Amino acid sequence: MVSTKEYFQNVWDALKTTAIGMRITGKYLMQKPITVQYPDERLPIPDRYRGIHYLEQEKCINCLACARACPIDCIEMDAIRHGKELEWVAFTLDYQKCMFCELCVYPCPKDCIHMGTEFALVTYDRSELNHDLLSFQGMGRGARIRMREAQAKKAAKEKAKAAAAAKKADTEKDADEPEAAGAGTGGDE
Amino acid sequence: MTPPLALTALPQEQVATTPNPGGNALLDLVNKIGPPEWIPDWIVALHAVGAGVGILIGIVSLIAMYSVWMERKVSGHMQCRLGPMYAGGWHGWAQTIADGVKLLMKEDMIPTGADRVLFIIAPGIVLASIFGALVAFPISYDFYFARMDLGIFMILALGSTTTIGVIMAGWASNSKWSLYGAMREAAQVIAYEIPLGLALMAPLITLGTFSLLDASALQSDWFGMKWAIFTNPANLPAFVIFWIAALAETKRAPFDLPEAESELVAGFLTEYSGIRWSFFFMEEYAAMFLMSVIAAMFWFGGFESPATWALRSAGVEGGIFFGAVCFVTLVIKAFAGVFLMMWLRWTLPRVRIDQVMTMGYKYLTPLALLCVLIAAVSEAVKSLLF
Repeated sequence: MVSTKEYFQNVWDALKTTAIGMRITGKYLMQKPITVQYPDERLPIPDRYRGIHYLEQEKCINCLACARACPIDCIEMDAIRHGKELEWVAFTLDYQKCMFCELCVYPCPKDCIHMGTEFALVTYDRSELNHDLLSFQGMGRGARIRMREAQAKKAAKEKAKAAAAAKKADTEKDADEPEAAGAGTGGDE
Repeated sequence: MTPPLALTALPQEQVATTPNPGGNALLDLVNKIGPPEWIPDWIVALHAVGAGVGILIGIVSLIAMYSVWMERKVSGHMQCRLGPMYAGGWHGWAQTIADGVKLLMKEDMIPTGADRVLFIIAPGIVLASIFGALVAFPISYDFYFARMDLGIFMILALGSTTTIGVIMAGWASNSKWSLYGAMREAAQVIAYEIPLGLALMAPLITLGTFSLLDASALQSDWFGMKWAIFTNPANLPAFVIFWIAALAETKRAPFDLPEAESELVAGFLTEYSGIRWSFFFMEEYAAMFLMSVIAAMFWFGGFESPATWALRSAGVEGGIFFGAVCFVTLVIKAFAGVFLMMWLRWTLPRVRIDQVMTMGYKYLTPLALLCVLIAAVSEAVKSLLF
């Protein structure tokens, strides 16, 4: 049983606290929303955020250091070596397994694998979660040019070597044949 | 219809002067156009009624749709969110249409143990009662579906019929949650019908009429601002009581105990899905609008505002333009009421069932009686003084 004073105090308190609450919600109503329209606009992502990896393929030397460092073996890489140049076959990262621990980033001697800022991993099928980090397969344009140059240089070297060998053989022959004494003349033929 | 006994003693100038007493405006319109002689009268009348029902259904659907959209936007912004933004382009205006299409497509499920007949007709009863109550809702002074001298009685009577539908839904669902929800609804509506009606008595005494149109016409003085809330000291507290009771009647938070999603899953809505479920929601939003219309009509001047006063003093009265201004005025006032309901919903935490009962019986009912007393005394004093 409440006294008369308490009764009217209750009525007054109810009205007063409701008014206070309505002032607060009204203030929030007037405020600018703090959410953004996600796919169209995004909030800034911190620099050290560990999102989906990206690979600087040109720098990578297929040393397998990252794949070995991975505690759950989610990195698969394969490349064919043409001298110093690499022909890339695969560099996949399985995001079904990956736990974004960043341990693959530290051992890289060329500093070419990084954690990115992209985080949306929504797919229609699980197989799509096995991301291909390569921007191109096979060889890049620069790598092809460098390989061609190297091959040309190598061929020239071989040729020079062969020529030198031939000359040497000639001189040896010449040494056997006493009348041919000129050293430079053999190569001109 | 003769006015009730208590009101016959009122001064003669308070008797309303709105045009065309009795009858249906649509029927009058049809008669003015003048259909051919050989068409029987009852067919003409039936067509007028059909057109009225069509307009009513259109209005209710539009109101429900835009109240839902408004609710989502208001609640979003009160929580510093944006609410729906994509559907339709501009601020997600078509979101409710998309939702409605989705609800129509949904599988119509009836639980195995349910009472099929009651389960199917319950949403119909709920919706029909609110449609019936909206018959008394006038669109303007010259355009209404039914001119009723006791319009407010009819609205309150049919408005509380929704409870029967809700109890039916709860019983027929064969689910404990639903039955709990329905019982709470019954208890709550019985508790809050009393203060709702008593609080309405204060402006009814002030205005001296039960008709919505007459109530509006009586508040047209003072540059269209002679609203009942300003003319009697009891009307402001009566409005607060009416508003709290209206929140409980329409099952809105903080009185949404029949639904109570935290403890009763969804109360009487638990077993419903698809379009049947959306009928209950249409009813809720239409009831919100109807309660706001009652408040606007009997406390806040109805169709009257400085705009209608200016038009009337410029000699424009009657006709489509004046009617449109009246309608827009009323809809703005009603949506302000709907907004107030939403504001309260997102401000207050829910109350317990025993607190609901305490509030209804121990606080609102005696205070409403006090309001009626003050209103009557101050009206008597006014009639003695002036």
